[in-house]
Amino acid sequence: MTRGLWTRETVALLTLAALLPLAVFWLWLGGVEALFRLALILLVIAIWHLIFMLARAQPPSLSALVTALAIAMLAPEGLGTFQLILGISFGVVMGELVFGGWGRNVVNPATVALAFLGFGFPAAPWPVFDVPLAWAAIPAGVLGLALGVMPGALMAAAVVLGAAASLAGMVDDAVLHAAGIALVLLVVDPVTSAATTLGRWLQGAGYGGLVILFATGWGGAAPAQMAVAAALLASLAAPLFDDIALSFWVYRRRRRHGRT
Amino acid sequence: MTFLRSRAGLIPDFPSPVEGAEVGEVVTEEAGLVPPASQPLQVTLLVREGDLVARGAAVACLRHTPDLCLVAPIAGRVARIALLPGRRLSEIVLFRDDDGGAERHPTGAAASVGSLRRLMQTAGVWPLIRRRPFGGMPHASEAPAAIFVMGADTRPQAIDPQEALDGREEAFARGLSALGLLTDGPVFAVWPEAGRGIERPTAGTDLRVIPCGPRHPQGSAGIRIHQAFPAGLDTPVWDIHAEDVADLGDLLDTGELPATRLVRIAGAGLREGARLRTHPGADLRQLTQRIALPGPHVLMSGSHLDGRAAHWLGPRDRQVTVLPRQAPEPRPHWLIAALTASAGAKPAIPTSALSQSLGAALPAAPFIRALGAGDDEAAMSLGVLSLLEDDIALADFALGAGGEIKDQLRAILDRIETEYAP
Repeated sequence: MTRGLWTRETVALLTLAALLPLAVFWLWLGGVEALFRLALILLVIAIWHLIFMLARAQPPSLSALVTALAIAMLAPEGLGTFQLILGISFGVVMGELVFGGWGRNVVNPATVALAFLGFGFPAAPWPVFDVPLAWAAIPAGVLGLALGVMPGALMAAAVVLGAAASLAGMVDDAVLHAAGIALVLLVVDPVTSAATTLGRWLQGAGYGGLVILFATGWGGAAPAQMAVAAALLASLAAPLFDDIALSFWVYRRRRRHGRT
Repeated sequence: MTFLRSRAGLIPDFPSPVEGAEVGEVVTEEAGLVPPASQPLQVTLLVREGDLVARGAAVACLRHTPDLCLVAPIAGRVARIALLPGRRLSEIVLFRDDDGGAERHPTGAAASVGSLRRLMQTAGVWPLIRRRPFGGMPHASEAPAAIFVMGADTRPQAIDPQEALDGREEAFARGLSALGLLTDGPVFAVWPEAGRGIERPTAGTDLRVIPCGPRHPQGSAGIRIHQAFPAGLDTPVWDIHAEDVADLGDLLDTGELPATRLVRIAGAGLREGARLRTHPGADLRQLTQRIALPGPHVLMSGSHLDGRAAHWLGPRDRQVTVLPRQAPEPRPHWLIAALTASAGAKPAIPTSALSQSLGAALPAAPFIRALGAGDDEAAMSLGVLSLLEDDIALADFALGAGGEIKDQLRAILDRIETEYAP
């Protein structure tokens, strides 16, 4: 029996390949310190994957690399090792592994970990992204789109809304950069984003709308914090968007054919 | 939107050697009569082992519907009859003997619906029709809400139905008109965009042409039924291959069902590919023995995607796939097996590949998730009643599921049939 390639691990590898431009730029700009941070996060995630493999027979996934990169890039800076380990453990275990591993989770583990770190240690400063790094999110998104592992409708809705808000002067460049990076790292995760076309448009618009709302109404928040909070809320609303889209799809078919 | 739809789907590439230009006709020395896939048939035998039967003569009829007959694909002697418990048909093997001749049926049956149905059921046309929901051939008294004629086939290395219709336009139009009598609803013809024009049947048939692009699963009957006229529990929809429609036209004209169909033999286990005319139930070993590569190989009736390892060409199949037999995978270390094998069904990740493997016709990820979860109601609302294993074979292949998704679909269909069907 011949088999196709689009297994869970292929998608994880392709997502990683799409994010490589971003990862390379970030490591280049961050140097050895960034590399150590990434290695530490990867080690913590790998240990949890190993524990769940031994305890629950859940095969580990290469998506751990994507999660590690997202946490390493977006996590607040100046956190102690213990704090970082606590946050990562919470995100990876409660956001992914207890649901049965990558592919069955309902929220992105990196988003959960980042939200936990942000709310748990509010004094830690959020990272600020340089312009070249923000630009590297564009090839990452294009690659993900071309490889078919990132939802195009979601990205299009968020980009259109972001561009319109930027032209209208509602968000400044720093927020736009952070939102762009969070978009490719967290929001367009194929598993936890909406799975229907209409749902993806709604989620993209929801993410963009929340970023604009936070940028205009959340005084004192860092751009990365706004992006992570918007990603978390949009991700939590994804099943609702999907449900709306499916109900609409079924309604249209009932009207047209009298049955589904 | 039409442009986008015509580009929906994938073109899976499977290696196969170049085929010769010659199209020979082969009647194999042995032939097997087997029931349609996924439909156990309780039969009453009309012949005994050693009897000489004509081609097209009834050899068995359905136990609870005696009008519905299974006919001999070749003239020959009945060599072996294999039944499963409950008088379910396993196979009837015939040895070729041309002295048996061919069965002729009275012409002029198209005058009334009743006589047309009777002719189709006794002459062996009925098993060539597949019904949805649930698959298999239709019940003898069933009236379809619509009929789909498949004039395009997008499965990898499938034979082009248009080639099979070459020079048979009149017979096809006659068959199409006859099909129109069987239903009060429309007759849909799924036709290649780049193909020849379709021969219109006589007035009275509500014929609607659906253009079909080259990508799979655009030429898959279930996907087309799902898009154009979804099947329901009380609205069965039939589909039939265009060449079989032309055969029906010839049966109505001459009283004799054409014996052979155009078949392609392809696959990586061959020295050279072949196109030939042969009959249903043909012996696959004889068809491939001169062109198969040395060494062990698997013979499948059907395409790479939906084929089944078989001895005989399936009743509706027009493709034979020959693959080299892979050595069984070495068993993993017991600890690795214990840690990874109990994880159950692997999750499907929503990607463009998944969406395109279902022709972008339905919300792919929710549908695959509903199948995996065994959620009958969600699957029904997403259109599972129009689909069969063949239609989701590409998704199963693309996700590397190894037949798991097809099994899940069959389990859901069987459950729905038990719990909901009238």
